[in-house]
Amino acid sequence: MLDSLLALGGLVLLRDSVEWEGRSLLKALVKKSALCGEQVHILGCEVSEEEFREGFDSDINNRLVYHDFFRDPLNWSKTGEALPGGPLGALRAMCKRTDLGPVTIALDSLSWLLLHLPCATLCQTLHAVSYQDSCPPGDGSPVGKVHVLGLLHEELHGPGPMGALSSLAQTEVTLGGTMGQASARILCRRPQQHPTDQTQWFSILPDFSLHLQEGPSKEFQPQSDPHIPLVDPMAHLTFNLHLSKKEREARDSLTLPFQFSSEKQEALLRPRPSQATSHIFYEPDAYDDLDQEDPDDDLDI
Amino acid sequence: MATVATCGGDAVGVGSAVATASKSNVTSFQRRGPRVSGTNDSGPRLVSITGTRPSVRNGQLLVSTGLPALDQLLGGGLAVGTVLLIEEDKYNIYSSLLFKYFLAEGIVNGHTLLVASANEDPANILQELPAPLLDNCKKEFDEDVYNHKTPESNIKMKIAWRYQLLPKMEQIRPVSSSRFGHYYDASKRIPQELIEASKWHGFFLPEKISPTLKVEPCSLTHGYIKLLQFIQNIIYEEGFDGSNPQKKQKNILRIGIQNLGSPLWGDDICCTENGDSGHNLTKFLYVLRGLLRTSLSACIITMPTHLIQNKAFIAHVTNLSDTVVGLESFIGSERETNPLYKDYHGLIHIRQIPRLNNLVCDESDVKDLGFKLKRKLFTIEWVQDNYLRQERNIYPPGFSYLLKQKDSAWGEGSLQHSTFLMSFLAKATAFASRLVRHSEPLKQTGSGRIRQAAGPRLWHDGRRQEAPGLLGIPP
Repeated sequence: MLDSLLALGGLVLLRDSVEWEGRSLLKALVKKSALCGEQVHILGCEVSEEEFREGFDSDINNRLVYHDFFRDPLNWSKTGEALPGGPLGALRAMCKRTDLGPVTIALDSLSWLLLHLPCATLCQTLHAVSYQDSCPPGDGSPVGKVHVLGLLHEELHGPGPMGALSSLAQTEVTLGGTMGQASARILCRRPQQHPTDQTQWFSILPDFSLHLQEGPSKEFQPQSDPHIPLVDPMAHLTFNLHLSKKEREARDSLTLPFQFSSEKQEALLRPRPSQATSHIFYEPDAYDDLDQEDPDDDLDI
Repeated sequence: MATVATCGGDAVGVGSAVATASKSNVTSFQRRGPRVSGTNDSGPRLVSITGTRPSVRNGQLLVSTGLPALDQLLGGGLAVGTVLLIEEDKYNIYSSLLFKYFLAEGIVNGHTLLVASANEDPANILQELPAPLLDNCKKEFDEDVYNHKTPESNIKMKIAWRYQLLPKMEQIRPVSSSRFGHYYDASKRIPQELIEASKWHGFFLPEKISPTLKVEPCSLTHGYIKLLQFIQNIIYEEGFDGSNPQKKQKNILRIGIQNLGSPLWGDDICCTENGDSGHNLTKFLYVLRGLLRTSLSACIITMPTHLIQNKAFIAHVTNLSDTVVGLESFIGSERETNPLYKDYHGLIHIRQIPRLNNLVCDESDVKDLGFKLKRKLFTIEWVQDNYLRQERNIYPPGFSYLLKQKDSAWGEGSLQHSTFLMSFLAKATAFASRLVRHSEPLKQTGSGRIRQAAGPRLWHDGRRQEAPGLLGIPP
């Protein structure tokens, strides 16, 4: 499942935490799409370019188009190389691309962008970038799929922005693991269909290729077992709910006092002596309790 | 003729009536039937627009929401000029389905549609509408409905035999174009010719707003202002507010706004906790309601309220809308494994029903409503019905799973069961009758004092008679 993440298109959120970092998975996915022949754009905001490129071999490095916003995010040095408009401008420029073919855009990291840009603007721009198939059909030729991989540090943000980005994302990969084994919980939201939830164990090799694994050994299974036991309403009752066969027969043969049987029907249909409906006349006297809460409350038993 | 002379003022009228009666040799009472002359009736009559009907309770003009079961729960339908707010479920599967049912109902009835969305092109939304059910498809529907019924449902009710006469929840019936609500097949798409024959306007936010390069702390109302202007233009140009008097055929405008309040509209109410810009959405709803009240239109809005962090804000939004329906799906929650909910996909909560020209609202008294999306149909049922297909909802909530057990000491047919039931029913009816009496208007007694109805009374003839604790017997 992890290797077919990129097949769906749209926004893929990689949520990592302090214990389980996600940059290596991001780099592994970037390497994979570069090897598939896609165009790869990197928006580097959190780490320097050298640190990001280390570990990749030269042909992959030549394919990556790197937009560096780490060294000079606010464009103070005013050299010509920095893109106007900052990272947002770079994203918007990618919306207006004219060349075809599938494109992968890796955002390193989406957390940095969330902290520096208003959330609503970022969501709108990400949506515009990911849903490029709403292009006017006048082109004739189909535009290739756009994959946006965003690295998100989930501990940095509150439930609001996280919820907003999750609702926008096609796929959400949450990193976790036990005992040295990394796992990815993949939640895939397809439009109008039920979301699928899978867990995949993996490891990243030193050359940033993805190695899928079966999972840790059996004794660690109960910890990661997501199965919830069926709620049984019959448990912890103080009375017996099960009848033996004899009791059941005795119960079935019992006539109930309020059952509408044929005798009762005849009794009702027989002409009654007094045709008047029943009246209840009640004159309350001075000592009467008119509390309507419970008529049996003043019974002295 | 002596009576005519003594009448005085209206002698002329009576005289002429009597004169005509004597002339034409028929009675002066005429049966009201189809008029022979065929001229336009100028009397005050309700405007008959296709797809609407007056409410049986207060005469309000209603349109169907596309789901007859939901219409029933809302008191007959959605009133024209009001807003139906749907609180989305977590993955926006079922709320978008309700949205599409509303629009499909508009197409089938020939209403004009206005679809506004920030994430999907309205043309694509219209392509995905469900197909309406036609008469010849009734057969396959019957199989779909009846194949889940267990053989127990054929056993006649033993104790609550009177409840067999109660009407069940909405059954599937074949559609005809003159009916108020229609049924749709969720697995098929609406035929293309129906979409082309219909009139619709689309508002897709990314097309209407050009993204500017500089990062401004966005004029967050920009998208909302554009949408309001668009709606106002359509209402004015097409004469839904009565401004174009030469239009002969009045029609309803159905407005659908998808995912209002999400960050894609430029609103950050879902992103921030303190919500200092929360007034944008409330202002929008206020102005929208003003536009709707002065035109022949009905609006459906879906809102991702599960993303809104400020819970007080959801109360503001609820107050500003008319009808509010919340959807809660069981996907991923712990209720998925609860056997009580095993046949349902989620719960539907009717959070608010408006009081339009009324003092009380038309709220149904059933609180546990579940919905399920079968392969073709979207049905809404009482959750208790799942366990109690034989006996209707006479069991107290929470005990139904106990009392349903057929082979238990509490099962149906046991003395314990029936005694428990009768005592519960007696208390429930006494409570209910007391509530009904409390809501009666103030009554005047013979001594001139205004006295409030303080307890269950049986007669209103001035004699104060009370029977505390007994069931009220109608006079």
